[in-house]
Amino acid sequence: MFVLFPLGYAIYISLTDWPLLGPYHFIGLTNYKNLLQDPQFLHSVKFTLEYTAIVTPPIFFVGYGLAALLRANRAGAKLFRTIFFLPFVVGLSTVSFIFEIELQPNSGGVDFLLSKLGLVSDNHIWTVNTGPALLAISVIVVWFASGLTMLILTGGMQGIPRELYEAANVDGASWWEKERRITLPLLRRPIALALIISVIGSFLAFNQFYILAQNNAGLETVVEWIYQTAFTQFHLGYATAMALMLVVVIGLITMAQFLILRDTTEF
Amino acid sequence: MTEVALSEAPRAPRRRRKRDRGFWAYMCVATMLAVLFLLPIVWAVLRSLQPASLASLQPQGADFTHLTFANYKAVSHGLYDILPNLANSLIVGIGTALLTMIVATLAGYGLAKFQFRGSGVVFGVILLALMIPFQAVLTPLYLELSDLHMTDNLVGLILVYSTFNLPFGVFVMRNTFQQIPRELVESARVDGAGVITTLVRVMRPLIVPGLATTATYAFLYSWTELLQALTFIQSADKLTLPVKLYDITTSTYGAINNAYLSAGIVIAMVPCIALYLALQRYYVQGLMSGAVKG
Repeated sequence: MFVLFPLGYAIYISLTDWPLLGPYHFIGLTNYKNLLQDPQFLHSVKFTLEYTAIVTPPIFFVGYGLAALLRANRAGAKLFRTIFFLPFVVGLSTVSFIFEIELQPNSGGVDFLLSKLGLVSDNHIWTVNTGPALLAISVIVVWFASGLTMLILTGGMQGIPRELYEAANVDGASWWEKERRITLPLLRRPIALALIISVIGSFLAFNQFYILAQNNAGLETVVEWIYQTAFTQFHLGYATAMALMLVVVIGLITMAQFLILRDTTEF
Repeated sequence: MTEVALSEAPRAPRRRRKRDRGFWAYMCVATMLAVLFLLPIVWAVLRSLQPASLASLQPQGADFTHLTFANYKAVSHGLYDILPNLANSLIVGIGTALLTMIVATLAGYGLAKFQFRGSGVVFGVILLALMIPFQAVLTPLYLELSDLHMTDNLVGLILVYSTFNLPFGVFVMRNTFQQIPRELVESARVDGAGVITTLVRVMRPLIVPGLATTATYAFLYSWTELLQALTFIQSADKLTLPVKLYDITTSTYGAINNAYLSAGIVIAMVPCIALYLALQRYYVQGLMSGAVKG
């Protein structure tokens, strides 16, 4: 209701050459045609896809690892869970501001610690060059987001009956066999949910790039480009057409993930 | 963390046998990870207590010997005053949390307890809305708000944020209400209580976890949101905290940027962490159980 009406409105706007002020004209599918030939748009899509492909697996595996580590609810598990989820609570924009300071050459804490550990020999200019900036932002995002994956998977893990593992122990199953035969199949829904949330989140990435890669044209995500087109260049119709294509892509990703991880086990 | 385990050990001697090598391996790994996860946050706090003159120099161990609140003083008055922005963020955060809570409670109650034709469809639409990214409706929303003369207006921002938090809120509240036994509602009815009285008197204690999840989620969302705050608010005195901090990073204050920004960061972290620690029992439970029910 609240979202669907603007969505209809969005489809209409995307078929016009709507400027922020002044008259507009209905121009049919011209915006969409132009989009497919717009090098900046295509670059931002390609970059966003790459970024999503880079961060999704580590977020998932770190989140899974954390959930598995705390699964037995041993002493301190609650406290550790609280700590691992803390970056997410602090929020992506605040987190990005922290690293805005700490990634600076000379004065930043990241270079300081890495050189103390002997991992880098001199100061890096992290945010200016595309490669290091992408590496830094990816590590930050994994640190930020794996706590959420952990919580979602923990919720699922606690629903798995303990007897299954005890039976497997009796049969002499190894750790990996237990994970593969019991945990993973029964965790399908939480896994699908965690992956969908993290993929959509990376696909819509804005804050971390807007704050940490302010002047880096090589690191422009789709949402950043939509924002610029709409609110600094005032091509609202064109920007809305981009946004709708983003919705379609996200819809397809979500559906694909649901199909791949479809819940075939009833319990 | 290790102290906790040590102090517990003498109290529970019979569990000692279980604390084998596996337990200590777990403790070591988890503690190391916890340090890694906490490090940037603790570092940010120490950074904010550093004199501004040191903020742009190579970090030194000795820096921690002269900690100061000067940065906090600097950002609480004069040219770099961020307190009005903090107030804006609090207004928007609390407003969003309250509005989302109220609407989500009524909608969730309706969906869970009254079966009407199309109630399944309404719930389906809400789930669909959960999936649609707000970035897609940013431009039409902007046009709608400007038609209503609500751009550059904190109330407008509250409405927008509540809209995006409602699908999750309704989802949580519906699940919450569905777990309340039907008999409880019916017996209240028999005793002559109306719908609202039932909601407020009978169900309130049972829905507190759901409410806390909804409110925390809405508050944290609006507290850290940047894109819409950038889009919908223009006047300097109405900016929310993240936008103000962003302005500091792009401004020309020079070397003192870092010092002021670091104080702003800590000020921005405190309410989130406080709210999270206060309500985490409900919030974490809400997020985890959401996964099970999918």
